[in-house]
Amino acid sequence: MTTARKVGLVSCHFCQTLSKLPDTDDNINTTLRCPCCQSYLHSRLPNSLSRTWALLIAAMILYIPANTFPIMTFVYLGEGQSDTILSGVIHLYAEGLWPLALLIFIASIFIPILKLFTLLGLLLSVHFKSHWRPKDRTVIYRMTEFVGRWSMVDVFVIALLVALVQFGNNATVTPGFGALAFAAVVILTMFAAHTFDPRLIWDTIDNNGK
Amino acid sequence: MKSNSPTTSQIDTQINHLACPDCDLIQAIPPLKNKQVAYCLRCHASLLKHQKNSLDRSLAFAITGLILFIIANLFPLLSLKALGLTQEGTLLSTSLALFNTDQILLSILILLTTIIFPATTLLGTIYILIQVKTNRINAYTAPIFRFLRSTDAWGMLEIMMLAILVTLVKLGDIADVIIGTSLYAFCLLIIALSLLSYSLNPHDVWNKLRAKNGCSL
Repeated sequence: MTTARKVGLVSCHFCQTLSKLPDTDDNINTTLRCPCCQSYLHSRLPNSLSRTWALLIAAMILYIPANTFPIMTFVYLGEGQSDTILSGVIHLYAEGLWPLALLIFIASIFIPILKLFTLLGLLLSVHFKSHWRPKDRTVIYRMTEFVGRWSMVDVFVIALLVALVQFGNNATVTPGFGALAFAAVVILTMFAAHTFDPRLIWDTIDNNGK
Repeated sequence: MKSNSPTTSQIDTQINHLACPDCDLIQAIPPLKNKQVAYCLRCHASLLKHQKNSLDRSLAFAITGLILFIIANLFPLLSLKALGLTQEGTLLSTSLALFNTDQILLSILILLTTIIFPATTLLGTIYILIQVKTNRINAYTAPIFRFLRSTDAWGMLEIMMLAILVTLVKLGDIADVIIGTSLYAFCLLIIALSLLSYSLNPHDVWNKLRAKNGCSL
């Protein structure tokens, strides 16, 4: 049981070809290219933690306007009604469309919050060199990466409503600033999950084990 | 050289050494049978899979997908009938409607995730697979395939499908929603795309590139 880094090898991020690391100390600063697919080789993703922190903090800040500003305004015969993410879910529930309310609740409220907190937890666990259940943390990471994009469903629903409900002065739907902020939260957390290197979870265990 | 070239059975018994992408553990992978998947011993990431005719099947699904994608974009997906007017919605009109309401960033996002990335995925996959099948791998094969792998998560047609269903139910109460011709093509497109991502084994493409560039695992 040994890791690629310990035996001086680096695995290509794309094609998984193993290459030898040169015997210099500043491996981080030298640019290596994969002999098979020409992509840049990194033993660990460069500046993984600081990049993930930056993207995560940006997402957390934008999460506030995403929930307080209206995501869309529905104007019907001169009467306007603005909805935020939460009030949209409540309206759906009140209209008896509870399966839809549940779906939007999971995609727009539950998953984004869960994602922000799991990324925060993962970053903190790496910072404090935690030994707690590395396998489970890796599995949680993979799930976060996989499920995050589905939060976009609410943004797409708004887009479809805007495109379809266009009846001059009688009935229109206009998107609000909240929709843009929410889309930004989803995109930023997707990038944050992408820049986090799960191998950092295992480095603590590998370095202390022997 | 020719007499010494490895026979098929020798190639099959070759053991691959891989480092897990999620935990960096080096592992020896024994030869896999059809539909077998090798998982990391330590963190259970999927490392390698073997599928018969992965590239042929993927090419078939990608071409099917491209045809369906064109049909899905030609005709309206949904039409809304209310107050004596009918409003039609296509993938492109969704993006354009946002552009007209001055939500340019959202409009670009919809355009990228529902039209540009799915189109490049389909066209790029067809191009790469034809290159690999006809042994015409050139200097652009690897960068294009890398681009396709890294933009895979940004094609969001299956999420659009869910959004269309939500819209159907949401508007069903207050207006007449007519299901357009393209929606059927769109449903089939989602199936073709999921079959494509299931059948495409990137490892087979990388193996061809490795053979071409003289690298080994």
